[in-house]
Amino acid sequence: MAIEDTQGKEGPDKPGMTPRCGGSFTGNLSAMQLIELDACSQCRECLNVCPVQEVTGNPAVSPPEKIRMFREFIRATAGLKTRFSEPKEIDRRLLEDFVKAVFECTTCGACGKHCTVGIYTQRLWPFLRKEMMARGLVDYTVLTDMPEAIRNTGNPYNLPAADRYRPWLPEGIFIEERSETAYYAGCTGAYTAQPMVNGDVRVLSAIGEPFTMLKEEDEVCCGFPLFVSGQHDMLEALTKRLVSAYQEKGVKTLVCSCPCCVNIMAREWPVFYGRELPFRIMHITQFVLNALKQNRIRITSELGERLIYHDPCYLSRGVGIIEEPREILRSIPGVELLEFEHHGLNSRCCGAGGAVRKVYHDNAMAMGRLTIDEAVAKKADRLVLSCPACYGKVNEAMIGHDRQIPIIDIMELISGLLERKQL
Amino acid sequence: MHQILAAAAYIVYAVFGLRLIWHFLLWTRTSQAIGNVYRFKQKTSIATIMLMAIDIISFRRMMVASGPLWFGSLVFHLSFLIVSLGHLRFFTEPVPGCIQDLQSCGLIAGYLLPASVVYLMSIRILSAKNRYLTYHNYLILALVFGISATGLLTRTVFKVDLVAVKGFAYGLLTFHPGLLKDSYLFAFHFALVLFLVVILPSHIFSAPLVIIEARRREQELNMVMHDK
Repeated sequence: MAIEDTQGKEGPDKPGMTPRCGGSFTGNLSAMQLIELDACSQCRECLNVCPVQEVTGNPAVSPPEKIRMFREFIRATAGLKTRFSEPKEIDRRLLEDFVKAVFECTTCGACGKHCTVGIYTQRLWPFLRKEMMARGLVDYTVLTDMPEAIRNTGNPYNLPAADRYRPWLPEGIFIEERSETAYYAGCTGAYTAQPMVNGDVRVLSAIGEPFTMLKEEDEVCCGFPLFVSGQHDMLEALTKRLVSAYQEKGVKTLVCSCPCCVNIMAREWPVFYGRELPFRIMHITQFVLNALKQNRIRITSELGERLIYHDPCYLSRGVGIIEEPREILRSIPGVELLEFEHHGLNSRCCGAGGAVRKVYHDNAMAMGRLTIDEAVAKKADRLVLSCPACYGKVNEAMIGHDRQIPIIDIMELISGLLERKQL
Repeated sequence: MHQILAAAAYIVYAVFGLRLIWHFLLWTRTSQAIGNVYRFKQKTSIATIMLMAIDIISFRRMMVASGPLWFGSLVFHLSFLIVSLGHLRFFTEPVPGCIQDLQSCGLIAGYLLPASVVYLMSIRILSAKNRYLTYHNYLILALVFGISATGLLTRTVFKVDLVAVKGFAYGLLTFHPGLLKDSYLFAFHFALVLFLVVILPSHIFSAPLVIIEARRREQELNMVMHDK
């Protein structure tokens, strides 16, 4: 199981490491990211769409404030004045304020979508977090324990690899040893949103196309929790290990349902792998929609319900999958599909993102409840989700909340409506 | 007085130039391959380049984000541009015909500029959503208001000796600044301009690059998970 860091020990927080408050703050950023930091005009328009602002009203953790603070760190340590005087060490309290601000973010990317200059914030925040991690300033153990957990168990939850599939993989589903199509369950789905991944494999099986999966101990974390929390040392090793494993199985299409996994596979794996991937990444809704259009599966059961679909941030803004889930839902006889006020590319975060839903639990609950409240206000019969993190958090937000709505994953829903003979 | 202003101008512009070069060096010294984004579309089409230009010139992203802010910003930047171009008559000899032709527009722009600043300040202060502005935002707006107001006064109420002003301004380029006879309002106007150059936000240079990259990313979004 052991996964090695191949990038060297330049970075992450190690127990007992003295935090660094001086030195360059630009070492973990690309040229474009530095330009983005410079380009922020502090117009504050992003505050209108930031979900953390909506629930906290705290400008100290707002996107422009994060950028302003980090800019000041760069100026103080690498600005023009430092050519003529000693570069300063930054006051540790300022750095800690910054850590709190940048880690309270769900990285939903709404600020960047709305940004008047177009800063790619969904990707900038993980790299600012990386700088803070490298300085030993982050003490959220739920995050800093993740590399060790992944090294030992293959997942960030430190749960046994042997339990990755067993609790949810239906009996009677045949998984090929080798196939051109593979399914990646993902850690969050496999361990915390099992009805979702159960639905995935049922639908894949119903489509009839042979598919393969890695063994429990081989299907390790895709790296997203490490990427988004700024702990990048293991990413190259994880990427190469998974890509090689799927390549050995002859995979040409890798299907996944977790938006975060899909996001890192499509956007970051080629960077860490060093070249184009030898297979295509597909979100399960793309795969299933193709199958529906080719009549390889048919939804015959009628569902006279009003469904409302929530766009996961990393699926809509992250990789542009917006229409496929909707087309699938509209193909269900009797369904009326409702929309949130902010949907598609403008989708509002449900609070589960950024790998910090356990650190800023109250924020996550508040955001999840806003999603529930709007779904109830629109008189939806069911809230349809397409993300294991959203699935877990919104279900948790409903506990003790005065408004209730049944929640279901899209594949969990579809698997129950397919023609009986296909299941 | 003209010697003090001239010396201040040389120092301010030299430091400004150094600042720009330093920014550029900081950006280019970074070579983190891991920070770089994977490109889904290797070539940028002519249509995309045109859209990028439109995004920059029209402030399209701001229009989508906030109509009122966009309107004020567009009027502000356009009038600032026209006024600045009109000022080229002080730095060119002979004055090109196109600059001469701009003078009447320049006067109208001269009125619109402070008006747009007041408008922008108002929507910031009055809008509950546009809170949390820093003092720096207000300082820049106040400074531009001061510059445009004093400039307008030198053209309308307290008219200055334009020949002397041109002698001073043109002389700055040739390192022989002319005398400024007791033109305190102009001196104040010029000093405010120098102060603005000192605190000029560098985002005016980097923002167009980010806008270009954002357009490229938007064009690419459909290619991340969909066939080319």
